[in-house]
Amino acid sequence: MENPTVDKVPTAGCPFHGLEALPADGTLLHPSPALAELRSSARATPLKYTGDHVGWFVTDYELAKRVLEDSRLGIHSERVPASSGESTNAELDDDVVASLLDADAIESLAVSNVLNLNSPQHEKMRRAMTGRFMVKAVRGREPAIREIVQRQLQRLQGHDRPVDITTEYALPISAHVHCLALGVPDGLIDSYVRIYNDEPEAADQTDFVRAVQEQFDLVRTVLEEKRRDLSGDALSDLLRAGLTDRETEGAAWILMSVGRDNVARMISTMTVALLENPEQLAILRDDPTLVPGAVEEIVRYGSPFVGLFVRTAIEDADIDDLHIDAGQSVTVSAVAANRDPKRFEHPDDFDVTRDAFGHLGFGFGAHSCVGQQLARVEIRLAIEALILGIPSLRLVSAAQLEPMPFAHPVGMHDTGSVVVEW
Amino acid sequence: MRIEVDHDACVGAGQCALVAGEVFDQDDEGFVVVLDDTPPTGSHQAARRAASLCPARAIRVRE
Repeated sequence: MENPTVDKVPTAGCPFHGLEALPADGTLLHPSPALAELRSSARATPLKYTGDHVGWFVTDYELAKRVLEDSRLGIHSERVPASSGESTNAELDDDVVASLLDADAIESLAVSNVLNLNSPQHEKMRRAMTGRFMVKAVRGREPAIREIVQRQLQRLQGHDRPVDITTEYALPISAHVHCLALGVPDGLIDSYVRIYNDEPEAADQTDFVRAVQEQFDLVRTVLEEKRRDLSGDALSDLLRAGLTDRETEGAAWILMSVGRDNVARMISTMTVALLENPEQLAILRDDPTLVPGAVEEIVRYGSPFVGLFVRTAIEDADIDDLHIDAGQSVTVSAVAANRDPKRFEHPDDFDVTRDAFGHLGFGFGAHSCVGQQLARVEIRLAIEALILGIPSLRLVSAAQLEPMPFAHPVGMHDTGSVVVEW
Repeated sequence: MRIEVDHDACVGAGQCALVAGEVFDQDDEGFVVVLDDTPPTGSHQAARRAASLCPARAIRVRE
């Protein structure tokens, strides 16, 4: 796309005074110091994107919310912040996609990917997805989630030690709970876990697109079985919603794809945060009724999103003192906003007793996380079982204590292994 | 206090039902239902909190 904006950005030109890439020298629990510096000097900073585009990087909490709720900004997933070098900023090649993904799947993605849709199609698809993720529905799932967690805890306790919490506890729990909420038939759960938990990096385009095709094949098998036996789950709701075949298939694909890995990430990261802050862990062990608040706090404090999905202005937009030209992109930093001292006191303290609600860890606005109530319950039950079930749990090593390449080019931190002993 | 909701704006995130379950619920599609649009004093703080946390700013509280 032609870049209509670059010469209008006041600080652009020669030399460029904005960000050449997102700061990648931070970790989940200790974000890059550059974020606080940027936030204290301006509410938004020019940021380079792929294709030499210059957009904005928003670090201020209030401005972040204003941007995320503004309907003049749409999601634009093809453009991502320019890379600092080693991460996976590859844009998918249309030819690779066309040669490896069947035509129906390509069309299904185009009509249903809620992460890349704008009104009114976005609202239509979102409405077909939300029912089973509401507070009441999720509460009804608690006993079944508890059972999944207990089963996985027993497996963990029987595992050779030291053991990786990410692969042996967090990922299996999130995959099985995901299948439960969506209604993936029992006989296909193992296929789901295998196909989704071994998802290749986007950097290898051929492998990535082949994996997407494999996911679509599974989605079709799952939907075929569901059609014969509709019940009280999210996939059954999709099949009842009067969508076209392509919409149903695409929506099922996105529901099966998203959320699962981020819940696992939060379980792993919360384990690290608690083991690194033993006084906070002691507070929760003394009074487990504080765990829900602690979950809110980890989603604030340990959000992986240095950048949320990229928004692009559909028309010129002035939001407070930020001018965004039509076609210009904006990245909102959930990490920077969640640690804005104007909103959260002592934001760099991990404090399980604080009221952390209002964080942007689940996003904000029309694209805020559909599965956030399920995520809250899942993280809570997984952490409760772990810290109460294994009193002598201790951290051996965690990859995320050192900076890692982003797991997604929008600027999402990876979790890595979390090795524990007891 | 009087509660007004914008049903078109609601995105079904469920924050209101989570933090103020005595005032808000969700319908079968997950969208906002007001259980009590003139809640008692004891629920005012929860209602204000729900309004402030709504990611779609779909809740208005008139004091």
